[in-house]
Amino acid sequence: MTNLRAPAWHPVASSEDLPFRHVFHGQLLGQELAIWRADDGNVNVWENRCLHRGVRLSIGINEGAELKCQYHGWRYANRSAGCTYIPAHPADAPARRIANRTYPAVERHGLVWSAVGETPAFEDPLPDLDWLPLRPLPVDAPPEAVLGALLDARQADTPVDALPPLGATLILDGAEGRRAAFFVQPVDSARSVIRGLLEPGAGDPLGVLQRFNRILSALRDRVEAAALAAPAPVPMTPVYEPVSVELATMPDITIGRRATLRVAVAAKTDLAEGIVGFELAALAGHLPTFQPGAHIDVHLPNGLVRQYSITNGPGELLHYDIAVKREPASAGGSLALCDTVRVGDVLAISEPRNNFPLRRDATHTLLLAGGIGITPLLSMAKALHRSGLSFGLHAFARSPRHLPYNEPLAALGEGVATHFGLDPAGTERLLAELLQSPGFARHLYVCGPAPMLELTRRLAEAAGWPEEAVHFEYFRNDRVIEKGTSFTIELARSALTLGVPAGKSILEVLRDNGIEAPSSCEQGACGTCLTTVLDGIPDHQDVYLHGSERQSNRCMLTCVSRARTPRLVLDI
Amino acid sequence: MLVLYDFELSADCYKVRLLLALLGLSALIEPVDVFPGAAHRSAAFLAVNPLGQVPVLIDGDTKLGDAHAALVYLARTYDAAGRWLPIGEPPRLAEIEAWHSFAWQLSQSLSVARDVVATGRDADLAACQSEGHRLLRVLDEHLWFGERQGRDWLCPGTHPTTADVACFPDVVLCEEGGVSRQDYPAIRRWLDRIKRLPRFVVMSGVFPAGPGPAPRPDAAPAGT
Repeated sequence: MTNLRAPAWHPVASSEDLPFRHVFHGQLLGQELAIWRADDGNVNVWENRCLHRGVRLSIGINEGAELKCQYHGWRYANRSAGCTYIPAHPADAPARRIANRTYPAVERHGLVWSAVGETPAFEDPLPDLDWLPLRPLPVDAPPEAVLGALLDARQADTPVDALPPLGATLILDGAEGRRAAFFVQPVDSARSVIRGLLEPGAGDPLGVLQRFNRILSALRDRVEAAALAAPAPVPMTPVYEPVSVELATMPDITIGRRATLRVAVAAKTDLAEGIVGFELAALAGHLPTFQPGAHIDVHLPNGLVRQYSITNGPGELLHYDIAVKREPASAGGSLALCDTVRVGDVLAISEPRNNFPLRRDATHTLLLAGGIGITPLLSMAKALHRSGLSFGLHAFARSPRHLPYNEPLAALGEGVATHFGLDPAGTERLLAELLQSPGFARHLYVCGPAPMLELTRRLAEAAGWPEEAVHFEYFRNDRVIEKGTSFTIELARSALTLGVPAGKSILEVLRDNGIEAPSSCEQGACGTCLTTVLDGIPDHQDVYLHGSERQSNRCMLTCVSRARTPRLVLDI
Repeated sequence: MLVLYDFELSADCYKVRLLLALLGLSALIEPVDVFPGAAHRSAAFLAVNPLGQVPVLIDGDTKLGDAHAALVYLARTYDAAGRWLPIGEPPRLAEIEAWHSFAWQLSQSLSVARDVVATGRDADLAACQSEGHRLLRVLDEHLWFGERQGRDWLCPGTHPTTADVACFPDVVLCEEGGVSRQDYPAIRRWLDRIKRLPRFVVMSGVFPAGPGPAPRPDAAPAGT
């Protein structure tokens, strides 16, 4: 008797079952599966269950790079099954740990293979021939009985080659001598699918397919009648591997500024005048889920740490694409990347972090990009375009030579407009026109040089855009940071009181005392160190917070901001 | 003015609402509280349809108390190109008629199973489900081989017909009667294709499909 639970790969679908933007409903060893092909060709085999409310993902919507649950619209990324968007929390980036259960997938000979439970390395059971997949035939009978019936149905005195655990290559009686490889997919203890692959041969394929369908249908009738007469076996209970310790435990509050990932520079391209593109590829498998607007810290050979936006579209997890503007006048981060780093080098990067998340519930999304500020907005535009949501992306640059990503932008259709060589007055006129009316439930995202951001925010406010509809990301904080004061911080959760002397930031004091608080840019631009203030009045020196967030005195960025009161109580 | 006596949860009524939508038509809906009100047995409704069943479609002097009759009427009256019911092609027309009969078989099995589960109707659930599976196996095989021959719909031709509209509702709602479509992948793909027709409408229990491949240029339904 075959041990169905023995680690093995089984076919779970035909390649033809996965047409454009479809979700196939499969099952293996009692485990229901949602199987879908992304537009990039990747086949995803996932547990058929949205981890939010348990609704089957096989009735969800395949958006090409994300799968959207039919019930509350949670979206999950191609490859990782990580959650990329929760409609009930449109302004937030979902936690990285929200991910559906995935199973391995290999597509070979017109079949999709997968395994539940322990997974051995995939070994192709068949030689490379031009196999013709037969119509798969579901049978309400135990897998071993179906295999037995197939063996019994072979033409007398013909050889059989076993294809363990549940298959055989043989010649069926009535098949005009055509050999076929049959795999019995163990759907459940009393349900199977016969998946056959026919050896290449002459004859009209349609007629051959019909002939085999007739033979197998007759076989099905026999084996189902026998199964009805026998006592029904107990249905299988899906085996769930325990989730990893990482997923099962609460994340540490202190993430620090760690480079937890290693990536290889797979390509280095001149994207535009003074702008170099880097393709940072996963060393194995795929990279972690990100959402549009996310950035990574890149740890450079010269010890500097710099932030770059991920420009990828949704579900593109084999590599992160970033663009670096060469800034000879800066501290040397961009020069180190542009001049020193070569293809093949391995870099340390942080996990993606998103302090600039994209809402997907806007009636229209306006994306305004100045120069290299195109990078986060390109990722956003790709996601909006993919989901068929209304958006306009306006890219401002000195000249066409200075604008990166011309090709990807052109692929985004009519929503994209480029504006070249405008003087300040011309830029202001155009921005004023674009921002004329906030409309209903529209959202604005802007990224670019500080003067453009200031101007855009001023014009938007004047035109009546609500503050919460205006989202911005600065490249850096150009303000002169005042560090001369000293004050006391009380860490409510850690039960510690620390003194912050002149010349040191709160973040540095935390670190000196062994508290590894999350941080990234450390100049008050990215928002990673955002901390809740429980008491006291912060002295804001960042460019991340909105006006009302500042005035609320309820939050601050610990990397640059200080205190106006002698004492601050922080939720750390 | 088209008038439709309608019960929102009825698969038969959905057939008519669906074709109305696909043809770009609207009708005045007269709701009939079939469950739990049993309004289709009331004297007032029996005066409209002595058979005591919904839907009833009224267009001027024409009154049709049968879903498939309503499909035939709408397709021949409001689709100038005649694509939904091509009477000039006897083999195709006859095939469509056969699928109308098949749709009736579906309503005698899948729809009854759904009624048993949803309303507690007194019928043999297991027998209805088993008969439903038998019919779905036939349908899946037909559609699978259709795909191999470049045929997207139940009947030959690039345009869907009333055969598809007649069979779609009971199939798309069958899981409410405890009949899983997991074993019918070709049916699931056909359901997606129907859901992607321009002007497709859902009903309670029917989920929309996302955007798919662009429809064939000649497959857009004729309308007003």
